[in-house]
Amino acid sequence: MTRRTFLPVAAGIPAATLSASQPAPRKGRLKQAVSRWCFNKYSLDELCRRAAELGLKGIDLVGSEDWPTVKKRGLVPTMTPGAGSIEHSLNRKENHAKLELEFRENIAKAKAAGVPNVITFSGNRRGLPDEQGLENCVAGLNRVKKIAEDAGVTICLELLNSKVDHKDYQCDRTAWAVEVCKRVNSPRVKALYDIYHMQIMEGDVIRTIRENIQWIAHFHTGGNPGRNEIDASQELNYRAICQAIADTGFTGYVAHEFVPVKADPFRSLAEAVEICDV
Amino acid sequence: MRRRDLLATAAALPAAAAAQTVQRKGRLKQCATISCFGRKATLEFAAREGARLGLKGIDLIGSSGWPVLKKYGLVPSMAPGGGTIADGINSKDNHAKIEKQIRENIELAAASGVPNVITLSGNRRGMADEPAIEHCAAFLNRVKAMAEDKGVTVCLELLNSKVDHPDYHCDHTWWGVEVMKRVNSPRVKLLYDIYHMQIMEGDIIRAIRQNIQWIGHFHTAGNPGRHEIDATQELNYWAIAQAIVDAGFSGYFAHEYSPLGDPLKSLDDAIAICDV
Repeated sequence: MTRRTFLPVAAGIPAATLSASQPAPRKGRLKQAVSRWCFNKYSLDELCRRAAELGLKGIDLVGSEDWPTVKKRGLVPTMTPGAGSIEHSLNRKENHAKLELEFRENIAKAKAAGVPNVITFSGNRRGLPDEQGLENCVAGLNRVKKIAEDAGVTICLELLNSKVDHKDYQCDRTAWAVEVCKRVNSPRVKALYDIYHMQIMEGDVIRTIRENIQWIAHFHTGGNPGRNEIDASQELNYRAICQAIADTGFTGYVAHEFVPVKADPFRSLAEAVEICDV
Repeated sequence: MRRRDLLATAAALPAAAAAQTVQRKGRLKQCATISCFGRKATLEFAAREGARLGLKGIDLIGSSGWPVLKKYGLVPSMAPGGGTIADGINSKDNHAKIEKQIRENIELAAASGVPNVITLSGNRRGMADEPAIEHCAAFLNRVKAMAEDKGVTVCLELLNSKVDHPDYHCDHTWWGVEVMKRVNSPRVKLLYDIYHMQIMEGDIIRAIRQNIQWIGHFHTAGNPGRHEIDATQELNYWAIAQAIVDAGFSGYFAHEYSPLGDPLKSLDDAIAICDV
């Protein structure tokens, strides 16, 4: 393991002339990761190599076929497929049987590979009142929480904005997701708090995180507006937010999920990692 | 009054001369409330030091203090208008009384070249949004002609009802904008408080860009806590100030926080952060 992690780092140094530096030692109070899809124009192997150099711990949103590539670089597949899609998922009872099968299969795979988290969604509203959608999500998660608990894998219900990117998505408020988690009340069923999405929907990020940290297992980042770099070009001060997250004693992952627009995407990623290294 | 001012000016001059005035780019006209100068600050101190740090005005000072501001070349950038946070223009019962206040205050402001007067929605007290919006619009429609004639802008303040002002009615941008649209006057605008709106709704830059034509004034503060606007809190004020300037905003942008650190150092930092 030591050798495997050492080799890619050593191999990466010549190519890393853009950043012209050794892999930076990180304070590491927060374990950072990056979402695969934001760097889709690079091969997964390239992304993993660069991520490892930057001191990242994992890659988010990668399927099991990609896990060997991720692990080869000493990284963790930090958030993996669970069940459902953004539009069609837990808020409809008619989906539950199919979702349960997906969960069973994906949680088993995650457990076998030592993968910590699987993702799920509420689905779109389609006119369903919040209370009904909420009850349905709770019922769907109650069906599978025991499997997750036994496997030691956390099911993460993602919060997304319904104002700009995902019109009609139901799990679009922290209070709603937290109410689902409270009713399910399992150490293995938590919310995925996406800072970008929640800044669009409700703001008050640090207070919300502090008040609900026991229901949050994972974070996503992104600059607002635009979902690009999380640097000084956008309205959130990610350093203070990460400081607040670390200060709560959070031990999960904070995964970058922004689309870089600057000339050098890996430089943008390096800056993001630096900003959040508190 | 005059004699006291003269004395104060004389006393202040050597100090002002000793401490160099800070040069700013000044694309954004920045101001501050007296709270930014620390708990014990006098108006004289705030005006002198504010001017030195490059501020253009002091917010929320009544007419008795205007001569002090003017002595230092500062504008009373937001003056009293009518109503209180709890009892404002959302209730028709208050209209006659507030109309009298605001007409007096517009008159005073116009006579002194003061650009803005403030007003407030008042608390909900169980009132639904629609009648309250209609009441606010009706009141502002009663006074807008005078504001237009006098060249004074009436600013309706947005505040958070979640932490600091429970039950305040004008607590979302859409709500304030709806009032503005029904009044549709160049002299009736919103006071968009960035701190309060971050608590209530977030998405600051988008909200400002989309609604800039209805905004007459800004307030700042760090969130959470309402302290410094620096790296200790969740908003990147530099990018927000940049977006405001880029939107073509020509009004005033006032800091309104209570400093935890040295007040003048913090204010210098705040002005530098927003000097885009």
